[in-house]
Amino acid sequence: MGLKCLAQHYLKSTGPSFILTKKNKPLRRRTASLSKMEFVNPEGLRLDGRRPMEMRQLRAEIGVVSKADGSAVFEMGNTKVIAAVYGPREVQNRSQQSNDEALVRCEYSMANFSTGDRMRKPKGDRRSTEISMVIRQTMEACILTHLMPRSQIDIFVQVLQADGGTRSACINAATLALADAGIPMTDIVTSCSAGFLNGTPLLDLNYVEDSAGGPDVTVGILPKLDKVTLLQMDSKLQMETFETVMQLATEGCKAVASYIREVLLENTKQLESRRGV
Amino acid sequence: MLTFQLFMYILAVMVGLSLGEQTFIKGGIDQDLRTDGRKRLTYRPIFVETGIIPQASGSARVKLGATDVIASVKAELGKPNPSYPDKGKVSIHVDCSPTAEPSFEGRGGEELSTELSSALERCLLGGKSGAGAGIDLSSLCIVRGKVCWDLYIDGLVVSSDGNVLDALADAIKAALSNTAIPKVQVSANAPSDEHPEVDVSDEEFLQFDTSGVPVIVGRHYIVDATTEEESQMSSAVSVSINRQGRICGLTKRGGAGLNPTVILDMVSAAKHVSEQLMNKLDSEIAAAEACDEMES
Repeated sequence: MGLKCLAQHYLKSTGPSFILTKKNKPLRRRTASLSKMEFVNPEGLRLDGRRPMEMRQLRAEIGVVSKADGSAVFEMGNTKVIAAVYGPREVQNRSQQSNDEALVRCEYSMANFSTGDRMRKPKGDRRSTEISMVIRQTMEACILTHLMPRSQIDIFVQVLQADGGTRSACINAATLALADAGIPMTDIVTSCSAGFLNGTPLLDLNYVEDSAGGPDVTVGILPKLDKVTLLQMDSKLQMETFETVMQLATEGCKAVASYIREVLLENTKQLESRRGV
Repeated sequence: MLTFQLFMYILAVMVGLSLGEQTFIKGGIDQDLRTDGRKRLTYRPIFVETGIIPQASGSARVKLGATDVIASVKAELGKPNPSYPDKGKVSIHVDCSPTAEPSFEGRGGEELSTELSSALERCLLGGKSGAGAGIDLSSLCIVRGKVCWDLYIDGLVVSSDGNVLDALADAIKAALSNTAIPKVQVSANAPSDEHPEVDVSDEEFLQFDTSGVPVIVGRHYIVDATTEEESQMSSAVSVSINRQGRICGLTKRGGAGLNPTVILDMVSAAKHVSEQLMNKLDSEIAAAEACDEMES
């Protein structure tokens, strides 16, 4: 399939949440020498010892915020985020109420201590507003909003540690939290990023690789329906390479999906045994 | 009297308690048996985990029932305030994440964040000069008037079920005891030039404090209130007490007036509770650190 045809396919399948924007970088510290750095050594190993197509270690836990309706922690290597879901509940701002579907809201925030340098209080800056919007649109695409008219679902994601790939981690955490809250969805959404450095496609970039200035493709998919709901890239990339990098990111998403499924299954089994079924 | 009742009513609506539930909570407190089976002066179990933020100089997570907070300490080199050349600087900042409460969304948590930060600063930092502070500010000075350590203490409320202030104070205490500040050597000829060495100094904060919050409900006071109980309180007094049993800071929250003798009573109750809490927290921190070392 040609790229043009691919793009049309995705546009058709995903509607308005197809976004191609330039990402703002999460952290300020960027060294000039990074562009000349060797990100893949001759043995084919990356800076943190991974192979190019290897993902960081995943860890997820469900039910971490006891007061929320659904919550989860998701870790990809050193990146760690918490997501909490409140709802479906009464719409707080009546003017936003819709009579045929649920209102989905999302807020993304970063803890002061999440980055290497201490951040100085930028609440509601452009980057977090953009990520909030991306997460909201991605999650909206999979929630069956028409089943819960005149109600509101809040998704709050909090970054505890940022080491690249925060938006992917946030989407994965949000999926788990929504599933924990028992909110009806067409499929789970999973996300993963991939980049292209030193002529090698790399899966799941960490912070150092992310700040190298190379392309960074973030993909979000609905694994069962085989549709792409999120696609973002910054920097430039050859057409043919884009296809392979995106393919790699999609494979990453599928790997995340199978892990998330495992976690959800384990959680359900535990609930079952607690209820004595 | 009327205004007081109105105040109670508004709070009850916020948490969504029925009249029956309100009476149940108050009745339980009268009989020294609270809804979760505790006595008036019993704390919820504390769970401490240290060293959870790798990029911070020190960090800790404290769970107090369903309340869950994280504190981190970051040390940076800075310049001392010209008025106090031989003192380091410490700033405390608390953030209330919307994951804890949907109403903290956007700027919604800012009021509570400011209230908590200033209460903690009052308890830990003492006066402007740093006199009477829980943290010894002169130990942070490196070269008089030139270089000192700036400690940035960040708190994050992840989940809140009442008594966030205590949980934060405990988390900060645990994070500080987990903090390792690098030793700094100053070369004699260039006073402003410093070389942080890698080896880590001992814990600098031997004396430290914690706070007990007796909350008054009706005629009795209770300690470590949950959200439901907090919704029924007319006022709360937070007392921070150090190991020697001295009071380091005091904050009263809530609008209702209190009889001065009741306040004194509450302070002594706080002192009594804090002794047990201090020992418990110390053993928890020691256990968490031991666990940390095992892993590494």
